[in-house]
Amino acid sequence: MLYRVKKDPWFFAVLVLPAALVVGFLILYPVLNGIYLSFTDASPLRQGAHKFVGFENYTYLFEDEVYYASIFNTSYIVFVSSALAVIMGFLIALLLHFGVKRFAPLFRALVFQVWVVPWICITILWGWMFNKEYGLVNYLMTASGITESNMDILFHETGAQWVMIAGFTWRSIPFLMVIALAGLQSISTEIIEASELDGARFLNRIGHIIIPMIRNVLMVALLLDSVRFFQEMTLPLLLTQGGPINATMVLSLFTYQLAFENWDFALASAAGTIWLLFLISIAWLVLRYGIRKEHV
Amino acid sequence: MSTKPSSAVFNYRKINALAAYTLAISAFAFLLLPIYWLVVTSFKPIEALFVVPPEMWPHEFTFKNYVNQFDTRLIQLFQNSLIVSGAAAILSTFAGSLCAYAISRFYFRFKSALLLFFLASMAFPVPMLMITMYSTFNQLGILDTYWALILGNTAMGLPLSVWLMTNFIDQIPTDMEEAALLDGASPFAVLMHIVLPMVRPGLAASGIFVFVTSWNELLMGLTFVSSLEVRTLPAGITLAFLGEFEGDWSEMMALAVMVTLPVFLLFMVMQKSILKGMTAGALK
Repeated sequence: MLYRVKKDPWFFAVLVLPAALVVGFLILYPVLNGIYLSFTDASPLRQGAHKFVGFENYTYLFEDEVYYASIFNTSYIVFVSSALAVIMGFLIALLLHFGVKRFAPLFRALVFQVWVVPWICITILWGWMFNKEYGLVNYLMTASGITESNMDILFHETGAQWVMIAGFTWRSIPFLMVIALAGLQSISTEIIEASELDGARFLNRIGHIIIPMIRNVLMVALLLDSVRFFQEMTLPLLLTQGGPINATMVLSLFTYQLAFENWDFALASAAGTIWLLFLISIAWLVLRYGIRKEHV
Repeated sequence: MSTKPSSAVFNYRKINALAAYTLAISAFAFLLLPIYWLVVTSFKPIEALFVVPPEMWPHEFTFKNYVNQFDTRLIQLFQNSLIVSGAAAILSTFAGSLCAYAISRFYFRFKSALLLFFLASMAFPVPMLMITMYSTFNQLGILDTYWALILGNTAMGLPLSVWLMTNFIDQIPTDMEEAALLDGASPFAVLMHIVLPMVRPGLAASGIFVFVTSWNELLMGLTFVSSLEVRTLPAGITLAFLGEFEGDWSEMMALAVMVTLPVFLLFMVMQKSILKGMTAGALK
């Protein structure tokens, strides 16, 4: 270590101060204050100071069917799209690394651009592609015989959920592909060649050598992506407003609407607190059971 | 299998390669089809949209959809988004790289706990954070100004900046800094003249990441500001889409292309350092 806090306290303070101010006032304090507000009846619409109400907000939420629906929908949509994205991202990375190695950088560079398309643009594009009469998706599905006639996908419960899954998956395949490709490239060619000499078949090699070696990388990327999906709500906010019949009501939209449409800060804070606990337990499970510790 | 004649092995390889190329091209086409559709639709005249089957290649190109968008409102929205995202990118990268230098070069307890906190904070529910931000900004009297959005986006970007920059600085050996300190250089001079120039790709990656996420940000743009003078692009498009939109999809697509283009170009130019930052972080 180059410096010690005791020897250069001022230098340390100056380095840390800007970040500490931002994080302290705009992240740490809001989280703690949010947890506190969840036990009160805070609302900007109410005159005077808020009072302490105990677990009232929580009991209210747990009697709300829409809230249950939002937890279920969020888990379902995030789980399915993360799983699809990681599988497809990994397969494409395999294909690039072992099949068309020469073009991998070009392919990666072009596809990775998908990752920066703003959500608002995806949302509008999705609205048009899934349009009932003139949408490309409906046309392709009818033309290929998957559906008999055009569907109003956005007004169909399962359909609307899959519109969201399609958006999430499509946008994060490039990210997982890039991570998986970097993981594959970090495996030394000697290991691969040795396994080839040992006569391991391609599928065996993937199952027994490659996946175990890049498993942790993929798990972390998956966790990062799921966390982002939990926050994302542009698609349901613009295209379905959580409908039809709350099929696309997700936690982020639910919490946002409580806070800034109903102006019920307390109830929204309770929903946010449960959301936080829920995510923490998922992250703990993934890190506990999904990541393999190395025994060296 | 092992007794296969060599010509058969050759063919087998050839078929494999052909299959790989076919698969790669289909994956490529599948992933880029939505982008293709976005761009193509934006150049179609409105009448060409409402036909079955959809025109895969437009019979008639028009720039009308783009030209029609250029009014003072759109320019105002673009300008606001540029100011907010640019300022957030600079502030977040500035604060993030200083903090990352402290994390990388100082010895102190709870260091890994601090890094874990930064990572975990990306998972904090944004609507919940926004409740207290809203009240704080209200008390400071900066609601409905650029500052509310700049500070909000800086806070959202900072954890990522710290992580990225810590990864980049960790990769630099400390020899040069030690030598400069022995020569009597001040710690600040060492940071400014030795470290920061060496992590320029990291600074660029962090800046672009925060710029892109702020450019993308919708909720704060909808909530913290209400007047057009400070409204950002995503919020402006959302209000237009939910409000006055009457099915003119080709103009909407043109708008979407214009919103995507700046971040698209930025990302393309800087892809190398961004990839480096991302993969370095993930592979650790």
